Amino acid sequence: MKARTELLVSAATVVLLAAAPAISPLVHLDVSIVSEVLVTAIAVMSVNLLLGYTGLPAFGNAAYFGLGTYGAALSVKYAHVHFIEAIVIGTVAALLGGLILAPFLLRRRGIYFGLLSIAFGQVFYFIAYRYTDVTGGEDGMQFPRPDAVLGGAHQTISELGFYYVALALFVLVVIAFRSVVRSPFGRTLVAIRQNEARVRYLGLNTDRFIFVALLISATMAGLSGALFGLLINFAYPLQLDWHQSGYFVLSMILGGAGTVWGSLVGAFIYVIGKDIISTITPLWQIFLGALFVACVLGFPRGILGSIAALRARAPDTFTDDDVNAAFDPNAPVEVGRGA
Amino acid sequence: MAPDAILLEARNITKVFGGVRAVDDVSLQVREGTIHALIGPNGAGKTTFFNAISGFMFPERGRVTFRGTDVTRTMNWKRIAMGMGRTFQTPSVFPELTVDDNVRLGVRAHAGQAFRLFTPTGDAKATVDRRVDELLGFVNLTAQRDRPLSELAHGSQRLCEIAMSLSTDPVLVLLDEPMAGLAEAETDRIMGVIRDLRVRLGLTVLFVEHNMRVVLSLADRITVLDRGKLLAEGTPAEIAANEAVRSAYLGEGVLEHV
Repeated sequence: MKARTELLVSAATVVLLAAAPAISPLVHLDVSIVSEVLVTAIAVMSVNLLLGYTGLPAFGNAAYFGLGTYGAALSVKYAHVHFIEAIVIGTVAALLGGLILAPFLLRRRGIYFGLLSIAFGQVFYFIAYRYTDVTGGEDGMQFPRPDAVLGGAHQTISELGFYYVALALFVLVVIAFRSVVRSPFGRTLVAIRQNEARVRYLGLNTDRFIFVALLISATMAGLSGALFGLLINFAYPLQLDWHQSGYFVLSMILGGAGTVWGSLVGAFIYVIGKDIISTITPLWQIFLGALFVACVLGFPRGILGSIAALRARAPDTFTDDDVNAAFDPNAPVEVGRGA
Repeated sequence: MAPDAILLEARNITKVFGGVRAVDDVSLQVREGTIHALIGPNGAGKTTFFNAISGFMFPERGRVTFRGTDVTRTMNWKRIAMGMGRTFQTPSVFPELTVDDNVRLGVRAHAGQAFRLFTPTGDAKATVDRRVDELLGFVNLTAQRDRPLSELAHGSQRLCEIAMSLSTDPVLVLLDEPMAGLAEAETDRIMGVIRDLRVRLGLTVLFVEHNMRVVLSLADRITVLDRGKLLAEGTPAEIAANEAVRSAYLGEGVLEHV
């Protein structure tokens, strides 16, 4: 994408998001659902960094997401911390979780990395599930949304207020994420996805890069989880479960692996789709699954990935020849990337 | 280092795959400033030996010394930092990235910039830009720099891989069958580049090769492997005249024209 086009599209997206609370009542959506889209998008981006950019099957990011939620929930419930502190504690809890798991995850690649990620995630799931006295076990734990305290002034966080907090953090995360994936570090992650052996033969210890990518990813997922907990004022074990990791992965693939804005598109379809379909039928997962299948068949590189691929091919102006070529039944068709 | 100093020494290297001795007690010395060829019939253990030297895998027995340091069990990425560069039989590149990005990754790695979370500007960027230009010029790929590598011909991909292996400023370059799968014209182009490695850059080269025309015209020293064992070592003239080598290659017809 050209720099100017990208800036315009990004600016338009942010303006649209800023106006979303005014638009959402018109389509009968609660503003908290739009908050959930933004919060979920951060978790989806955390998967994108590992899977979309680095090629590591991040099938256990719900562990960090849940650590963020429980970090915030427990600190609010038992230590009565304020809003901003709860976000920080949840995020740091996930970072610490990442620090503990990363040295083990580093030792494996490919599908074994994925399986290890799931297994470690389930450990956290069962801790939350079994440790009933503290976490409330299967029933989860409810907690009030604390006030934000800045310079001694207490400020209650309304649903609308929460939305703008989420939006501000989301925009910051997007800016940082975009900068990281375009930095030499981010380019090296992409290179690791394409050919890790060659990266090592350029004299780089790829483990170090993957370690840092894991920590960044865990921190992002933790931030997302902490915000999610404070949004719904509730923490429950299924947030740590591998199904939850799966939803993040599906949303990431749906939106477009390895694209900055794809995660927002994927999170939007997942959250809004779930919300709308689940009010119609309790079997919402069947329909959401069908939606996923349809999208993946229609957009093999994810929605944004496929659009980007089309744009890369499209000339700036069309001639008759271009149009004829576009409708040529004998034109070669790209069948996939693996060939 | 003196011009004929030993840059790389492999002593009594043995590598076993499930009971098969792919490389059996092979020793080799590469002297500074030479172009050294490693040849042998199919299955002779050339690539396995190469992998053991470059740290792609570790040998069961034996010792590898590089610039006077024991590197037998040194991680491959550390060997690169010590001044070793390597290419693979099938070009090992980043196919979806542009030619420029492929080379840039290596240059940044060597400049200690690969870990930066923000894109360098100013002097740091200028130094990298200059080196990328230089390397692309050396392999003559400047015109194709902005194209994804997967769109380039096989020979150009190999040239890009050579530029990548040079990006880390090696003193020794290991080339695994640099002419494999190339047309005659491309072979000549790569031969020119390999000569330039020594003449213009003053590097030492160790390469595995099948094509005897290439080996005899490029190499100063030739080491011959057969069925995992060292068969002979010498100058091109000595090797061409060697009876054992001739009979090892018999039936493959590669020495017919010698």
